[in-house]
Amino acid sequence: MTTGTRRSLKYLETNGFGAAQGGRGYHFPVDIAVRSDDRIYVLSRSGQGSLNGTGISVTDIEHGWHGEFSSYGTGDGQIQWATAIAFGPNDRLYLADEKLQRITIFDTDNKYVSHWGSAGSGAGEFDGPSGLAFDDDGNLLIVDHKNHRIQRYTPDGDFIDSFGRNGAGDGEFDYPWGITIAPDGTTYVADWRNDRIQRFTKRGDFIDAYGASGDGEDQFNRPSAVAVDGDGYIYVADWMNQRVQVFDKDWNFQTSARGQADLGPWAAEYIDANADEKRARESFNPYPKLDVDDPHEVSARTEPYFWVPVSLALYKDDRLLVLETARHRFQIYETV
Amino acid sequence: MSTVTNVGTDFDLIAHLLRRTGFGATRDELEEYAALGYEGALDKLFNPGDADALPVDLIRRYHADQSDLRIPPSSGSFWMYRMVTTKAPFEEKIALFWHRVFATGQTKVIQGKVMISQIEMFRKYGLGSFRELLIQLSRDPAMILWLDNQDNHKDAVNENYGREILELFAMGVGNYTEEDVKECARAFTGWTIANMPYMSTKMRNNTLRPYGYIAWQYEYDESDHDDGEKTFLGETGNFNGEDIIDIICKNPATPRFIARHLYHHFVADEFPVPQWPFEEPKDPEAIQIMVDAYFANDYSIGAMLRAMFASDIFKAESTRFARIKSPVEIVVGTLRLAGDFDWPTDDVYKATAACTYMGQQLLGPASVEGWMGGDDWISTGSMVQRINFASDTVGDPEKRGIKSIIVRIAERHEPGNVEPEALVDDCLDLVGRLQVGDDTLEGLVAFARDQGDVDASTDDGAGKITSLLQLIVSSREYQLA
Repeated sequence: MTTGTRRSLKYLETNGFGAAQGGRGYHFPVDIAVRSDDRIYVLSRSGQGSLNGTGISVTDIEHGWHGEFSSYGTGDGQIQWATAIAFGPNDRLYLADEKLQRITIFDTDNKYVSHWGSAGSGAGEFDGPSGLAFDDDGNLLIVDHKNHRIQRYTPDGDFIDSFGRNGAGDGEFDYPWGITIAPDGTTYVADWRNDRIQRFTKRGDFIDAYGASGDGEDQFNRPSAVAVDGDGYIYVADWMNQRVQVFDKDWNFQTSARGQADLGPWAAEYIDANADEKRARESFNPYPKLDVDDPHEVSARTEPYFWVPVSLALYKDDRLLVLETARHRFQIYETV
Repeated sequence: MSTVTNVGTDFDLIAHLLRRTGFGATRDELEEYAALGYEGALDKLFNPGDADALPVDLIRRYHADQSDLRIPPSSGSFWMYRMVTTKAPFEEKIALFWHRVFATGQTKVIQGKVMISQIEMFRKYGLGSFRELLIQLSRDPAMILWLDNQDNHKDAVNENYGREILELFAMGVGNYTEEDVKECARAFTGWTIANMPYMSTKMRNNTLRPYGYIAWQYEYDESDHDDGEKTFLGETGNFNGEDIIDIICKNPATPRFIARHLYHHFVADEFPVPQWPFEEPKDPEAIQIMVDAYFANDYSIGAMLRAMFASDIFKAESTRFARIKSPVEIVVGTLRLAGDFDWPTDDVYKATAACTYMGQQLLGPASVEGWMGGDDWISTGSMVQRINFASDTVGDPEKRGIKSIIVRIAERHEPGNVEPEALVDDCLDLVGRLQVGDDTLEGLVAFARDQGDVDASTDDGAGKITSLLQLIVSSREYQLA
């Protein structure tokens, strides 16, 4: 419930480590999801030149490391261009791959179960599945982004229905990306190239759209993800503005965060183990005076800032996890 | 050389201009520029407006590694997208020119991100005042780390940058003394980057741990600058870097040196740079035209080139097809012809790698002297790479650019069959008014004849046209610009 006090974000700590060859950490992560037992799953898309970092890593809020699974490839349970993960009924994990045009299911032991999907624009076909969310009936909503629509499936992969088409009008999309279902059942879609967030009823009927192109408080530059907490506060990953914006349920601006990461335990352990870097870092000013103002450039030169904040997840409804592709980590904030 | 039968002189001249200022031209581009006339075409090249290249947001969404641009395939491919899809190819040609002259290599710098920022700086300042360009270059973090200026302190001078700005970047050997080098280096003390100890350590360790690379930021450290009196090229004062650049820019050796580079890149192959102290320019008149323009226009590089392009030397028949295309020109020109990269694709990495296999790694010049160019581009191995890449690239009739060629051929002829000679003429015309020798022409016609008559409106005809295009881009003449 929205109160008279503005919602704010209080930085807590950072989890992550650049792991181009796999192992403890992430490599160009693109999505994050929290399982019912509070395990945190991070999907690494990896990139050209070091695809060994491709896979799904498992951690927890205390920085525990619980291994990784899946890898780059086209076989069962493998990944090429991973985009999204979400937990479905019985805590099965669903994975979207926009190059293989398929959804893959893993069981609670992270073992491959099955997959479905094929390329196309017809019912039940995909052209770039890129966002996943389960509704309260246990059905899976899939952002089929190059078809500019949302498709709904049963947990077993049977097509139910779809909504949306290409455009900038109500209920239309321009390469949408992230999707979330709020606790009240409302569907939120990050309408990426329209620089706005759209809301829909459970049936897919348009409710409203918010945002415009730009870097102001009511503006976005390619929003990629949305999260909504139990009080109805809306958190938006403002991808190219390199920030997270927070609104109440009526779109009243609450706050904006640019990021303030410090060394998490995995990173600190690495620095401690490398005497030359530790010594050199003693004089490190993480906020140097800059001669650029493009947010991407600013983030590239300022280690604590979000750099490509791509996805969000709520943890126990009072902590926000902000995943950053280019820094291989997620920052943890208390929502207060 | 035989000329294709449906040649118009202005079209040939415009095609020549677009090969030199860009990467060749599709028929649509050629008609667009030709409609403006030669002077109008120059106006458009120098004032191109929005590059309208493949948007960066799309590139970053599909290639996560092109967000941080850390490793060579990522940074090189990021530039490749721009070159292939831009509507302002002259900007890229200028960036390539300065990348070659101010050769900086990711092999040492490690960070592709700062290399791409340097290329962006070349785009922005590359046609403006040479003075401003040298100032930007001296503040460029990639250049600072490339030539160790972070280690150039007032109490411990490192001459590396001071030497190269004179020898390689602005004046050339023989136009300064060793004492000038030392004084120049002193003037650039304190020109460094923020957080230098940590950044240089990370560069040396070359790892993305713990949180990826941190792009470098130029910083002037006044406390580390030698503000004492210096004597440089005959002038004395408490010079800082900007003062040194002022003295460099007004020296007559400077525009002569830059003009020779410009001639080599845009007009015709020159001697390799190390021979310049011993060999006169191949065309002294061309050099003088550019030198005069330099002094008449506040050291403007754009004015030097505009004067060159307006000259009869540049327009002469003997200047056309007189340069061997660099690997980047072959790869980018062929991809543009085929209409590739309308959307992000992993093929961009193959294109970037192809340049490397042919001898030109983007952001990885062979040495501090860049690439020699000219005959150096051609070897048995590189020739095979060139032909295979070009032939593969145009070998798909469904590609936008190839389809456009096929449609134009169909439109030029009555429904039915196209004679082999006419088909060869059309194809040479539509790949950018390529002129070929008699032997090549005979071979192409013989190939077309063997294929039989072509109906361009059919799939069979499209396939035959595509095969002929593959043969054309495998020719000796296609290697020339």
